Amino acid sequence: MYLVPVFFGITLLVFTIERLAGDPVELYGALNPNITEQQRELLRKSLHLDQPIQVQYLSWLSDLLHLNLGSSFSGGSVATLIAQRIWATLELQLLGLTLSLIIAIPIGITSARKRYSALDVTITSTSLIGTSIPIFFLGVAAILIFGYHLHWFPSGGFQSTLPSQYPYGSLLLDQLWHLFLPATIYTFAILAPVVLLVRSSMLEVLRQDYILAAKASGLKDRTVIYKHGLRNALIPIVTYVGLYFGGLLAGAPVTETVFNWPGVGRMFVDYTTQLDFPVIQAIVVIITLMTLIANLITDVTYAYIDPRIRLE
Amino acid sequence: MNQEGTSQTAEPQSARPHGVSQWALAWRRLKKNKTAIAGLAIVGAFVVMAAFDRLVALYPPRCIVGLSPSCPSPDFVSNGPPTLTHPFGTNIDGYDVYSEIIYGTRAAFLIGLGATGLAILIAVIIGLAAGYFGGWMENLLMRVTEVFLVIPFFLLLLVFLQVALKFSQFSTGGIWIVVLVIGAFSWPGAARIIRGETLKVREFEFIAASRQIGASSWRILFRHLFPNVLHIVIVLLTLQIAASILTEAAVSFLGFGAPGSNTWGQQMYTSANFIADAWWATLFPALFVTVMVMGFNLLGNGLRDALDPRLRE
Repeated sequence: MYLVPVFFGITLLVFTIERLAGDPVELYGALNPNITEQQRELLRKSLHLDQPIQVQYLSWLSDLLHLNLGSSFSGGSVATLIAQRIWATLELQLLGLTLSLIIAIPIGITSARKRYSALDVTITSTSLIGTSIPIFFLGVAAILIFGYHLHWFPSGGFQSTLPSQYPYGSLLLDQLWHLFLPATIYTFAILAPVVLLVRSSMLEVLRQDYILAAKASGLKDRTVIYKHGLRNALIPIVTYVGLYFGGLLAGAPVTETVFNWPGVGRMFVDYTTQLDFPVIQAIVVIITLMTLIANLITDVTYAYIDPRIRLE
Repeated sequence: MNQEGTSQTAEPQSARPHGVSQWALAWRRLKKNKTAIAGLAIVGAFVVMAAFDRLVALYPPRCIVGLSPSCPSPDFVSNGPPTLTHPFGTNIDGYDVYSEIIYGTRAAFLIGLGATGLAILIAVIIGLAAGYFGGWMENLLMRVTEVFLVIPFFLLLLVFLQVALKFSQFSTGGIWIVVLVIGAFSWPGAARIIRGETLKVREFEFIAASRQIGASSWRILFRHLFPNVLHIVIVLLTLQIAASILTEAAVSFLGFGAPGSNTWGQQMYTSANFIADAWWATLFPALFVTVMVMGFNLLGNGLRDALDPRLRE
């Protein structure tokens, strides 16, 4: 359980970074000159800035552990603000990740089985190129083509503004229609590294003796690959996906800005522009927490995939 | 085991001629790798673009075509589509998009090399120290590295830049602040890999021999360990350049870049609001980011295959 010390380390780091930046209320005031001295005092008090620094940190931490995220400088409870947007973020991220795994695993396996064939070379080099294409190129290009020019899909957003614009009057259909382009493009944007990983870990497994033994005992190719091969190849894939998820979450500001998606990432961009520290701190901590949870799930999944690994 | 045995017996067959260095051998392997050479060619093309930017560009930098005295013709067009005189069109300010992209190449190299230099320097120091000294030092350094690995670095980067660039005291640093902050946050992954490699090299007999004859830790670290992990450092360096360029572009695209700096990300940020009318002003800079990142990534992958003997087949 290294998670707990790492989590405290991170809260300490986040806190230090922000206090190093200077008095948060002063910073906020510099960007929002029309707040009064009285409001400043109130903000200072709400952040315990009138107390010594260790008390500030500990009271923030204790608030955090009591699930009290405080309130934003511009008003409104941070927890409510985040709760309104977190589902949009998770929807896009989890959908993209799941779809990319579903697509990448068969492609990676095919590539590994037909190693050095024309197909394998095509898949490998396309993926190598694909790892370098940023979402702000792929996403923007796709929105231009399918949104602005062909008008097949909306050019951004989570749902239409007016109920009269819903297709067949259904909110669900409208949301799905808005989701389609971002989810598809996002899936392709994060697909390439997974394909390369599946291929290399499958290659590693296919040269093992037990694969040869399974083949020699007359099992069908499909059974050998999917039952004996894939299960063993999954371990590095699961590790990677656990780490990758954290990176994807941290990249949410870019993804959500490109697709004009009302999630936590875009919220982070807006509140960071304003230097609204209670919101910034809360989002950083929540995303870190979700990354840690993803790592934890990864560890649990190991034990499930590989019975040799025992959880302590 | 079997594979390893055959690959080792196959090795002397490639007739290692007398006096050929490991680096020359690696270069031979690299030359055979088409994608790596493609990467090298892309990077080379960008080096030429950066070095001779005034010759490659059509107009002087930051020149409002048609209005500025230094580029009086052709006529001023804001957000004009690609034409013969403006191959990538013009942006909202009337700048020639193609020329501005060319002038952005130097900034891309500055960010890529600067941020990477700092990140890899930190990674080498931490990785070597943790791997070589072990004990409490390794424990401490690796826990710190783990914290930095889990932390959503991109989010903190945005906060840092917003404070550093928009808050008066530092606002003169411009692009260097961006370079510094990206570099300061990008080291943990590389540090872990270098430590892993150091742990292996540390066990070799020549290290023990060196210690026997009384070499100092300092000497062992930099005369013996460092050269033996250098091949990994080179690969990490190349891939990190790509990552740094990508990070800067993303940061600037979101509006957190250094105001006044002429990077591809800044060009995208300026034009993104007018994308429905003038896609060229956003999409061409994004394309150049993509191609440059691709160049460094292909080269880095090729270098990994060429330099890491264990991956060779």
